[in-house]
Amino acid sequence: MSFKIMPKAALPDWVTWLKNRYRVVGPTARQGQYVFAEIASPDELVLDYPTSVLPPKKYLLPQRETLFTFDAQSMQMKANIEWEPTVILGVHTCDMHAIRLLDKVHATGYTDQHYQAHRQHTTLVSIECLSPCMEQSFCKSMGTLTVPEDYDLHLTDLGDSYGVDVGSEKGEALLQGFTAIWDPTSEDYQRINKVMAEKWPRFSYRLNFDVTELPDLLALSNNSSLWNELGDICLGCGQCTKVCPTCYCFDVRDEVDLSLTKGQRTRTWDSCQIDRFATVAGGHNFRSTRALRNRHRFMRKGKYHLEAYGLIGCVGCGRCAAACLVHITPVDTFNELYRRHKKGEILEEAKQA
Amino acid sequence: MSAKPKVAFFEFTSCEGCQLTVVDSLQDHPELLDTVEIVQFREAMSEKGEDYAIAFIEGSCSRPSDEPKLQAIRQQAAIVVALGACAHLGGVNAIRNRMPLQEVREYVYGDRAEWFETYEPRPIKDVIKVDAVIPGCPIDRREFIKAVTHLLQGRMPFIPDQPLCMECKLKENICVYTRGKVCLGPITLAGCDAICPTYGDGCEGCRGLIANPNIEAMRQVMHEHGLTDEAIDAKLSMFLTNQIMALEEAG
Ligand code: SF4
Ligand code: SF4
Ligand code: SF4
Ligand code: SF4
Ligand code: SF4
Repeated sequence: MSFKIMPKAALPDWVTWLKNRYRVVGPTARQGQYVFAEIASPDELVLDYPTSVLPPKKYLLPQRETLFTFDAQSMQMKANIEWEPTVILGVHTCDMHAIRLLDKVHATGYTDQHYQAHRQHTTLVSIECLSPCMEQSFCKSMGTLTVPEDYDLHLTDLGDSYGVDVGSEKGEALLQGFTAIWDPTSEDYQRINKVMAEKWPRFSYRLNFDVTELPDLLALSNNSSLWNELGDICLGCGQCTKVCPTCYCFDVRDEVDLSLTKGQRTRTWDSCQIDRFATVAGGHNFRSTRALRNRHRFMRKGKYHLEAYGLIGCVGCGRCAAACLVHITPVDTFNELYRRHKKGEILEEAKQA
Repeated sequence: MSAKPKVAFFEFTSCEGCQLTVVDSLQDHPELLDTVEIVQFREAMSEKGEDYAIAFIEGSCSRPSDEPKLQAIRQQAAIVVALGACAHLGGVNAIRNRMPLQEVREYVYGDRAEWFETYEPRPIKDVIKVDAVIPGCPIDRREFIKAVTHLLQGRMPFIPDQPLCMECKLKENICVYTRGKVCLGPITLAGCDAICPTYGDGCEGCRGLIANPNIEAMRQVMHEHGLTDEAIDAKLSMFLTNQIMALEEAG
């Protein structure tokens, strides 16, 4: 839509300006790591953060959410669809791709009213990554190192100022009446071209093959012995799925108060990596081994989502790899499958099964 | 349910911390006293009624003479709930189960070893049928209130069967392993709202093991973080001695 320049010195004023109109959340430092939290004062905001513990999806799909409340005597229920006009500042481009996937998932089939309510009232201000956030990230391989089209505002760090791309009317509204921004000069354009050109060589590819080959590779790998090897070392702790920006599984429970009169239905994030996740009535567990659960997760990330929604289910943020205490990572898993495939082992195992 | 259900509390080998937590839960939920009738609770009252439907039992069974007492409670109560790590797992008391009993007796009681009756501390489910468990050392008071609510609804208390890491990550805690400490969260049952990692300490496993825990991988992780085999064994025996020994026996 349009492109503006905001001097860094104006950022605190802008955040304060936003705070008078919205709930403003963004990356903040906590115990040497970064978490998205409500910004109480502009100096809490850290825009050049490596990556957050949990992705910003927690404002669209909260860890725990009350879906409705009910009166156990009159059997009346009341939907609890709460939203607050929110601005999320500093969303990395990989997380923007993840939100794009979540948008699709929650708008397909049975649409999720709670997600939609949060989403409609959220304005996303993304920020360009100019160097890799951590050793485990592999966004360049996954094609998520640039922002998808659906940002509201997108920031690029130009040194003493930010380039501000306006992507939507929602984004434009964040700048309305804020006067400390200006139209770019030709120097600003030169600067942004330079910054963008310099960024790419800093990132290395981590996949040893092209990501477009990944779904087919996984399709062939159903019977790979690698899954058993992962199952042997995996703790089944579920951390990888808790920190993943594209995971959305949840569990639903009803609780009443002690007087048995009122209650609520809540949902909480769940995970396919834990033992009882796939247990159905009668006690049968569809994925009773850690091997089957690991296979399921990587199939979701590299194949199933692409088939169902046209978008890949892993955005390469590396959070799962950083969290996993036994060092199971998507990059190593996919590369190892590819290596075995090149050696002909994958086809051999497929034939034998 | 019309008449208020009658409940009683009992203690065996324990520190009574779980019963104190029950008393503590009344601070937030005084209405508990409107929903149940407590007929026996040494920590909080002197009367002693023998007519009860729900028995909460704290403590491990650590001597032969505990057994008939447990049996009598089982006979009276429609529902028996094991309260806390001692009743649920054998508790800290079970650490000694890895050592020869005679040695332990002599170490503790010296030349009076024969004066005191004792045997291997065990969870009460090894002695009588237990209908439900409220795990933890001590129990979590919100979980206790929830459990009573479930019992009032005619359900069995729901205890999460997920590993603690799930709860810890929901809270966005910084994993204590990144801070140079050791944690049993990946193999321990959730439900305490990850209280230890939230305050910066590793989980000690007081709520017991998840289903199908990967003990070998957990050992490997602790090893990688600098613990010796001996230190790992010590970590795994604070609360988990009986469960780990049972797993070892099963192979
Ligand atoms: S699978 Fe791992 S690397 Fe991929 S998006 Fe999820 S957390 Fe990030
Ligand atoms: S199935 Fe597993 S990987 Fe997929 S969204 Fe659910 S928890 Fe995440
Ligand atoms: S994975 Fe890439 S896009 Fe995502 S935060 Fe890290 S550097 Fe940025
Ligand atoms: S974080 Fe690692 S150990 Fe835990 S479930 Fe995921 S892959 Fe397994
Ligand atoms: S601190 Fe413990 S419970 Fe929390 S994520 Fe780390 S290992 Fe799991």
